[in-house]
Parts: sequence; C-alpha cells; structure tokens
Amino acid sequence: MSVEKKGLLATLTRLGSRLGKGLPDVGQTLHDVVWHENKWRLLRFRATRPAGERWRTPILLVPSLINRWYILDLRPGKSFIEYLVNAGHDVYCIDWGTPTAEDRYVTFDDVCQGYIGRAVRKVAAASPDGATHVLGYCLGGTLATIHTAANPTHVASLVALAAPIDFAHGGTLAQWTRSPGFDVGALVDGFGNVPWPLMQASFQMLKPTLNLVKLVALVDRAWDDEFLDGFLATERWGNDNVSFPGECYRRYIDELYRDNRLANGTMRLAGREARLDAIDCPVLAVTFTHDHIVPLASAAALLDGVSSPDKAQLELGGGHVGAVVSRKAAQGLWPQLSRWWVARDTDAARGLPGDDDEAAPDPAAPEPR
Amino acid sequence: MNLWDQWKKGFGAWETATAAYLEQVLANPSVLGPAGAMLTAAMKTKAATDKATHSWWAAIGLPTRRDQERGLHKLNQLESRIADLEEQLAAARRPQ
Repeated sequence: MSVEKKGLLATLTRLGSRLGKGLPDVGQTLHDVVWHENKWRLLRFRATRPAGERWRTPILLVPSLINRWYILDLRPGKSFIEYLVNAGHDVYCIDWGTPTAEDRYVTFDDVCQGYIGRAVRKVAAASPDGATHVLGYCLGGTLATIHTAANPTHVASLVALAAPIDFAHGGTLAQWTRSPGFDVGALVDGFGNVPWPLMQASFQMLKPTLNLVKLVALVDRAWDDEFLDGFLATERWGNDNVSFPGECYRRYIDELYRDNRLANGTMRLAGREARLDAIDCPVLAVTFTHDHIVPLASAAALLDGVSSPDKAQLELGGGHVGAVVSRKAAQGLWPQLSRWWVARDTDAARGLPGDDDEAAPDPAAPEPR
Repeated sequence: MNLWDQWKKGFGAWETATAAYLEQVLANPSVLGPAGAMLTAAMKTKAATDKATHSWWAAIGLPTRRDQERGLHKLNQLESRIADLEEQLAAARRPQ
C-alpha cells in the first residue's frame, strides 16, 4: 500500500492514529545492573546460552556520552545487543545516565579514566583471562580509544565504531568549534553542563533539511508498519539525549577538536600519556561512507596511529546511526563484528560446540590492513 | 507517474540544492563569527548574572546553588575514591 493508492488524507489519518498509540518500547533485552557510581551504571545482559556454550571473552559496549545506550538495544528482533547475546557473547554496556547540576564539575579524567576504567576492570574481572573486548560508538569510541591508549592492560581488543580520532578531518563540527567566535569557556561557565537541546540543534544544523526529508519519508512509507516501528524507535532515541558534563566538555573541545592531541600524540589522561601507538591489541575501525557527523577520514585515522599487528578497517555504506541499527546492519555489520570477536577469542577453538551458525569464525571476516 | 511521485521528485531536487547551499552558509566564517560572538555574549551575561545573584545570596549567609553543587560533587568523588580503595583492597587480598 502507498500514498498514491490510499490518498494523502487517509495516509495522514493513519499516521496520526499510529502516533497517538505512543512510541515503541526500547532497551528491552533483559539485563542486570552490576555496578553504579554517580549517574552511570554498568549493565550486564542476561545470557541465552548456558555457560559452557558462550564465548570466553566478554564485550564491553561504550556508547556516546551524550546519547542513550539503548540505540544498541533498540527493539526486540532489531537489537545489536540481543543479537550478540543470542550469538553466545557475554555483553556489558555502560549507561551514562543523566547528569545533574553538580556534574558540571565532572572532568574528562573522571569519565575517561575513572568511569570507563572501572567498567573495564569490572568486566575484565568476570573474564577468565582478565581482559575484555571493548567497542566504543561515536564519542564513546574516542573515549574508549584514549582509555586503552593510557591503560592497555585489560583490553583484549578494541572496536571503534564511527569514532572521531583525527579531528583535523572532523568536518563541519570541527570547523564550528574552531571558529574564533566560539568561546567554550563562556559556554561552560554560563550553562554548567552543556544542554542537550543546544547540542541536538548543532547536529540538526549539520543537515538542516534532514527533518523535512524524514517527514516526507514518514508520509511515503506510512503504510509500512515495520518501517514505522523502526522510525519511531530511532526518533525516540534521537530526541532523548543527555547533557554534556561541563568541565569534561571544555577539555574535549580544547584538546581534541582544537588541538587534535589524540592524533598528534600529545594527549594525556590522568597524568599518563595516551598515545595511539601504545595500543597493540587487535583493532577494528568501523567507518561509514555517508557519515556526516564523523567523517570517514577522521574515524579511519585510528589505524594509522596504533601499533597493533592485527588491525583492520571495515568500511560500510550508510550514515552515522542508520548503518548501526538498520535491517542492513542486522544482516551485515552485526554478524561481521561477532565473527571478528570470535576469531580473536582467546579460546576460539572451543567456540560453540556443534554449532556452525553465524557465530563461527569466518574467513570472510575483515582482513588485516 | 502519479502526483505524489512527481511531488517527491520535485522535493528531492529542491532538498539536494537547498542542503548544499545551507551547508555552505553554515560553514561560512562570516556567519560563524557573529553567531559564535552572540552565543558567547549571551553566556557571559548569564554567567555574570548568576555570579551577582550568588554573591547577594551568600552575603546574607546562605549557601548558594554553586555551594550545593560543589558539595554534591565532592560526595560523588568520595564515593569513587572509596570504590577505588575497595578495588585495591580486593587486589591485595587476591592470592598471587
């Protein structure tokens, strides 16, 4: 069914009725809170396979500091986390929570060394080898990379999913933050935490016509229930953002966007050097061709800096969010990531006994670069 | 081709041209400069107003909002330090 067959009025009426039913539930995969500190929580997702049939090394997911974690667990049947759990992985995820006024004093070191460090150690402690795979998405990938560079001990492998690394190729966002008129100090002193509506407006200004394009797509596919469910869940996530702790934001802009310290090797974390060449574990940089938030060149730069002998770039079509949560991602990106981890599991030969499904090591997995 | 498809085609052409134009405008230093300066001026005014209000409030001996925020932040830091010490203690007790 389509607009031309049903008519515009009937289509709009249907949309109104569908929207009136409310937004879809999100983040539905069963989980336990295994740690909480200040506003952040460490979630562990309940296994669907018995202990002997699970992959050995757990996976820690680090979402962006300014977005909700449930983009990785959007809807039952359309969830990256659910997919990984069903494939036999032991999955943990950081939920950054909602900063309140006092968190204006939370620093970059608090988040990147303190909170991520605690999450890595907690997850690694539950692993037989004392190490965990780490996947960081967007800003979460940048934070995970900096943390790994300064503290490589407990990280078995690093996946940077659309994570900005070289801010010299940071695109329009980098251009805005380097504009002489933009005073990050005044912004933090005035607001405390940088409010999410301001950041959301900035992201929308990167593609000013995007909301209109979405609206037309919504009308065009108003009779496609699967599309509507996915669209509404993604929009729910897209409008449920988190303010950025002020002091952390100040350093993020000054040292990464303006001074590009991670790429040029002068980044420090809690008094330690955080150089990319200190990372020697297996590294996978996932980049998206049409990512207008994190340009491909910025994300791919990770591989130029790390000293890992086992490093690869997985370049896929699509944009910053769609390429991670779409049906295409469920058929392409998710199985490829699972296979990459399985191939690097410390006990890969053990695997899933008698199971030759998509979780088994695949020679088609990304080749080292 | 029906009317809706024709309209969509026209919208697509308009959107492509407009998005490219707006992206150029929004990356233009002559737009970014004044926009940044306006934001900075508004933020400095807000910070100065907050500071004046807090000074007045503190002058009559009452804790300000900043005082409360600093106090809560210190409590959060204390919680983290205790967790650090617990980790160190657990590591020290672990058999080598």
